[in-house]
Amino acid sequence: MKMPALNLRRTYLIARRDYLGYVKTWGFWISFFLPFVIGAIVIAINLAGFSVSPTRYETILDQTGSHSAAILQSEADKQEELMAGILNGLGGTVLNEQDAEELEDIIDTQGIDEGKVYLETKMPGSTSRMKALDSKLVFIDPPSRDLEELKSYMRGDKMASFEGKDVKLNGVLHIYNDGELTADYWSPNVTDNPVRDLAKSYFRDVSVDNYLGSAGLDREGYEAARESRIKIEAFDPTKKATADGEGQKVGSKDRIPYLVAFALSMMLWMTVFSGAYMLLTSMLEEKMNKLLEMMLATTRFSEIILGKLLGVALLTLTAILPYIIMGIVGVIGAIIMGPSDVAQGLITAFSPKMIIFFTIFLVLGYIFYGSLFIALGALAESMQDAQTLTTPIMFVLMGAVFIVPIGLTTPDSPLLIFASWFPLSSPFAMLMRLPSDPPLWHLIASVALLAVTTLGVILLSGRIFRFGVLSGAGVKVATDWFKRKILRRKVT
Amino acid sequence: MLNSPLSVHNVTKRFGGKMAVDDVSFTVNPGEIIGFLGPNGAGKTTTLRMALGLIKPDEGHVELFGGEPGDESAFGRIGFLPEERGLYKKQTARESIAHMARLNGMKGKQAFMLADEMLDKYGLSEAKRKKNKDMSKGMAQKVQLLSAIAHDPEFYILDEPFSGLDPVNQQVLESMVREIAERDSTVIFSTHVMEHAERLCDRIILMAGGRKVFDGPTEEALAKAPRRMIIGSDTEGYKDSITPFAKSLETREDGALDLILKDDAKSQDVLERCVKQKINLTRFEPKQATLHEAFVAMVGKDLLATMELEDAEVAS
Repeated sequence: MKMPALNLRRTYLIARRDYLGYVKTWGFWISFFLPFVIGAIVIAINLAGFSVSPTRYETILDQTGSHSAAILQSEADKQEELMAGILNGLGGTVLNEQDAEELEDIIDTQGIDEGKVYLETKMPGSTSRMKALDSKLVFIDPPSRDLEELKSYMRGDKMASFEGKDVKLNGVLHIYNDGELTADYWSPNVTDNPVRDLAKSYFRDVSVDNYLGSAGLDREGYEAARESRIKIEAFDPTKKATADGEGQKVGSKDRIPYLVAFALSMMLWMTVFSGAYMLLTSMLEEKMNKLLEMMLATTRFSEIILGKLLGVALLTLTAILPYIIMGIVGVIGAIIMGPSDVAQGLITAFSPKMIIFFTIFLVLGYIFYGSLFIALGALAESMQDAQTLTTPIMFVLMGAVFIVPIGLTTPDSPLLIFASWFPLSSPFAMLMRLPSDPPLWHLIASVALLAVTTLGVILLSGRIFRFGVLSGAGVKVATDWFKRKILRRKVT
Repeated sequence: MLNSPLSVHNVTKRFGGKMAVDDVSFTVNPGEIIGFLGPNGAGKTTTLRMALGLIKPDEGHVELFGGEPGDESAFGRIGFLPEERGLYKKQTARESIAHMARLNGMKGKQAFMLADEMLDKYGLSEAKRKKNKDMSKGMAQKVQLLSAIAHDPEFYILDEPFSGLDPVNQQVLESMVREIAERDSTVIFSTHVMEHAERLCDRIILMAGGRKVFDGPTEEALAKAPRRMIIGSDTEGYKDSITPFAKSLETREDGALDLILKDDAKSQDVLERCVKQKINLTRFEPKQATLHEAFVAMVGKDLLATMELEDAEVAS
């Protein structure tokens, strides 16, 4: 087989023009800096303690006199539980296993505030950012004991008072007994009703307590019974066993490689998709304005195809550079901050095998789809033509996006395994199989199959490209072929 | 002896069964300026695209600088301006010219310097850093033409270079072609406006209905045109004295006669007869033959009308 001749200078010039053609536009730089701008805004919002939800002032008009205090206590307990969860989650991410367990003990035995102090000593500055997480729900004493008058507070005709300032009352929980215990929630805000949810939860607990009490039981006993259940640990026999028996234990860190594989697979998909689409539009522009004809008087077909592939590859890499930088900084940061579960999981996820195969699949996948889209761009006469011609490939690409998430829960799914061999989806699907450690020959064979198919696609694309440019017949050629060969109809 | 920049050997091309170019052969010699003429749909653009290797002929073959079109041997030696115009919308004028010049082998800095020089020379100084999308149609056309010729090629293939240009810019383009000719470069340009070819070309190739109907020096083509003259007199019966020289004769509104001379008659013979018979001439205007008339004479009025009708149908 004769390989097409290439002049590297001309190839470079075509790549350079395609690269600079996009990079020199405002739109490119806006999208380039957008992640940084959004990141900066999020940090600024966090530093300023700004919250999207306003503080809501609520009151409880308890005419029975026996539930108000309990509901307020239930709200305080709920907030404490939420904060404990956040602190433990943060500790599990940034602290090593031992310190994270100690933090959990402190929160359980000494409370949230001591837990915050402990986390602050281990990681200064971490808890000061948690102000924004404080509850935006404030209960005030009822400014009146009359429901009708309270309604005027909710309408804004009158203002309630909280810590010396005037505030508008958002809602009233009215509890009364007119033969039957009843609770109504009044508020002009019909969409956001946390107090109603709080009351529902409280009265559900009351019902449970009453039921258990009728049998001489209490809720603490019920909770203790649930806690004393047999705990089931998960173990993975393929992991290395250790003397303490913990080595083969499956924990949250074991899921991280799957999440990383999913993220990389999606990134690869987006890179391939956006690169291929840019190639299509760039090719179409040159075809439509006849610059392609001027170029072909001085340049080979192969140089145009390769130049475009290189230019747009570099462009795509530049476009995703912010995400790569942020990803690398995040991963390195997590690893440096200590041998936490997340760090260990990340180290396992970014194994040399993952990095090598990610690179291979990125390059092959890009060339595969890129050269195909260049050819279709050359065949099309308009954007509508291009959309018609690319629709079948778009379906395949979209299909790959639906298959990849299967790997998060079922990495041994037959569909995922098939997709990891099928060249149109293998770049995305095989990455998703990597954390479950498939046999090496599977990987090599999948790469080989993709490489051979890519070579075939390059040669085929070269022919389509030549045909598309030379015939100038556009999408009609493809539809005529379909009519002649498939529908067996005569084409005029 | 220098190689011919272009030799076209019996090329034929059909599109969907319809004959676009039918067995056309010609050779372009170094240093010639050739007008490739014919009405729309005559097969000019298809032939030029085959010459560059942009379309493969169904039959026959083409040699470009002695090799196959699309070979390395021709790269950098050709300046091609396609019929339909376009530029990268987001490139500036100087970037467009420099990019094509660099693709044709020029070094980067030199290409930008040349682009600036050319833009200054052809009155586009203010457009240097203007994006192509912000330029007027005429300006953009000039920029594309400069992109095609900036690298000073040996052989220029210009497809309808005058189309879309205003009369002033048509003059500028004519002077550009003359400058190219002075540098002994070779030019073939297609046009359906014969006047440009009359003024610029050493040789013309006439195409009609996909076939070559004439290939030779411009003078030879003009000789094929009928010789016309207008003659007027206040002498009674002068028409009878002139009739023997006329192939056809029509009386104009002002009373003068519009005549086409017989093949063997000359305008001097008419004048001699008038002097001998003491006819008092008020008008004696031999008309210069035009390529359009030569073309009509060669292809026939009916065929021309049919082609123009087909062309109008395609356009609509």
